[in-house]
Amino acid sequence: MLERLRAPWSDRRAERVLGALASLVLLVIALMIVFVAVKAWPTLRNNHLIGWLGFGGDVDAQISDQVNGVGRGGDQFAINAGPLIYATVLTTAVAVVVGLAFALFSAIFIVEFAPPRLRRVIVPVVRLLAAVPSVIYGLIGILVLAPFVNDHLLPDGRKRSVEYVVQLSGTSLLVATLVLTVMITPIMIAIITDALYSVPKSWTEGAVALGVNRWRATWTVSVRAARPAIIAAAVLATARALGEGIMLSMVSGGRGFSPNPLDGLSFLFEPLRPLAATIVENVESLNAPAIRSSVYAFALLLLLSSFALSVGGYIAKQPMKKYGIRV
Amino acid sequence: MNPVRRLGVGAVAVAVLGTAVPATASAAPVITMSGSTSVAPLASLLAKGYLKDRRLKGKLKFKLAQGGSDVGVADVAAGRVSIGNSSRDPKDSDSGVVFNKIAKDAICLITNPANRLPNLTQNQIKSIFSGDVRNWEDVPGSTVSGPIDLTVRTAASGTQDAFQKIFLGPTKLSPIASAKSSNGLVQQTVKGNKNAIGYVSQDFTSGVNAPAYAGVSCNLANAKSGQYGGVRSFYMVTRGAARGGTKKFISWVQGSKVAQKIIATHWVPLR
Repeated sequence: MLERLRAPWSDRRAERVLGALASLVLLVIALMIVFVAVKAWPTLRNNHLIGWLGFGGDVDAQISDQVNGVGRGGDQFAINAGPLIYATVLTTAVAVVVGLAFALFSAIFIVEFAPPRLRRVIVPVVRLLAAVPSVIYGLIGILVLAPFVNDHLLPDGRKRSVEYVVQLSGTSLLVATLVLTVMITPIMIAIITDALYSVPKSWTEGAVALGVNRWRATWTVSVRAARPAIIAAAVLATARALGEGIMLSMVSGGRGFSPNPLDGLSFLFEPLRPLAATIVENVESLNAPAIRSSVYAFALLLLLSSFALSVGGYIAKQPMKKYGIRV
Repeated sequence: MNPVRRLGVGAVAVAVLGTAVPATASAAPVITMSGSTSVAPLASLLAKGYLKDRRLKGKLKFKLAQGGSDVGVADVAAGRVSIGNSSRDPKDSDSGVVFNKIAKDAICLITNPANRLPNLTQNQIKSIFSGDVRNWEDVPGSTVSGPIDLTVRTAASGTQDAFQKIFLGPTKLSPIASAKSSNGLVQQTVKGNKNAIGYVSQDFTSGVNAPAYAGVSCNLANAKSGQYGGVRSFYMVTRGAARGGTKKFISWVQGSKVAQKIIATHWVPLR
């Protein structure tokens, strides 16, 4: 047995073993989706899909009833996850849009304009930031940012104006999206920087030879060529933001509220709680069948979203590949 | 060594390790525990004390995992552990398990240090946490002004369950309260917000102001003497009545003087 393993492998054997490992990954993913879907089925069936995705009642009260096993039969599953889904979409979308703009311009600066000595410092630091565990960002959010926002940006008058409807505080939409943006930007910078580096020098040199300046050559040639990588960066960052639970549970305000943009500036200070954070906060109560099913349903939605995101990113990249670099 | 051969040797090494580990672990009987994060520090001390007191070192082993009261109850009901630790009372949905009371723990109300609120009556607590009173100006004794920021625990928490039962009774908690997932987060939030009020296990009161409840201040001495009303129970939960080594351990925890002494360091012993 040992002798056989030690002997040099034939290509055929290596292909079979590695192929089996690769298909195992596919099998695990497929089984995972099926498992989560089966577990999520009771809550989805009892609320009908539209009701489950929609708004209605207080989602925190519904979760609390599920944890305590209030109601019998189909009633115990009652939940309208709308506010949680809205919170997930809102935080993710704002963080990715702001982060992407920031990352693109930072990457252009690093690749095209930064003096070499600065570049030697910035690139490793960005990679380091991309690897910082999210819970550390969460700690900074709860220990530094949230108290600062609460003490200096949020006057008592504003809190008082809505005190019977919602509690405004530092742990809010503003701090949640800010920390989330800071968390996902470095990884986008790292990917876009690599992509801009891999654009052949001759392409931009050609543009410069035709008389445009460096900024215009970068913007019209390098960035255009790197579009597939920019989309890949956005997809990766979105997936990370969607799945972020611990950090958002710490800084988002712990309340299944739907911040309303019509509230003016108060909008920024309203609490919310995305899906992943809700999962984190309810793992303790998986004993109760209703909340267990709901938590699996949240997980299923996140799983399908990231799946759709990958496929969407792949499709969006196709037409750009013609003149783009390979990523 | 070429890469493919290295892969083969690696696979063999993993296989050898995999068979070796279970072989060494099965030497002594093991009592496994999981559950409440509030009970875990106590359970760990009790396990150590038991081994020392009964001279069982090497003859018995303890394994302690955490995860929350409901995890402990679910684990023990499914037979995954010998003991589930719980800081909440039994619920209707718990079937086939026995709750063995082992100790008590005080729940303190906490406010920001800037708010040197001396005392809260039960009615005041009810009106604050139900959302009827929303401003610190309306709470006598408060040294801050502005809206009250309610900080509570998530529905899954044993502390939340106990607070509802002991302090609020039938009164419903205000839906606008901000829910945190651990004692530490509540403590930190209250520390960082001058308008906040929350409640935590008595272990988590450093750096914040703990007002008295119904005239009795929240500390270990008052909880032990029975004067302080905000006290809940800690349980070790077993599947059916405890048997064998688990039974011996739990009756040691409930009965022996050594165990009572260990509990009395930070918690309230039963006798």
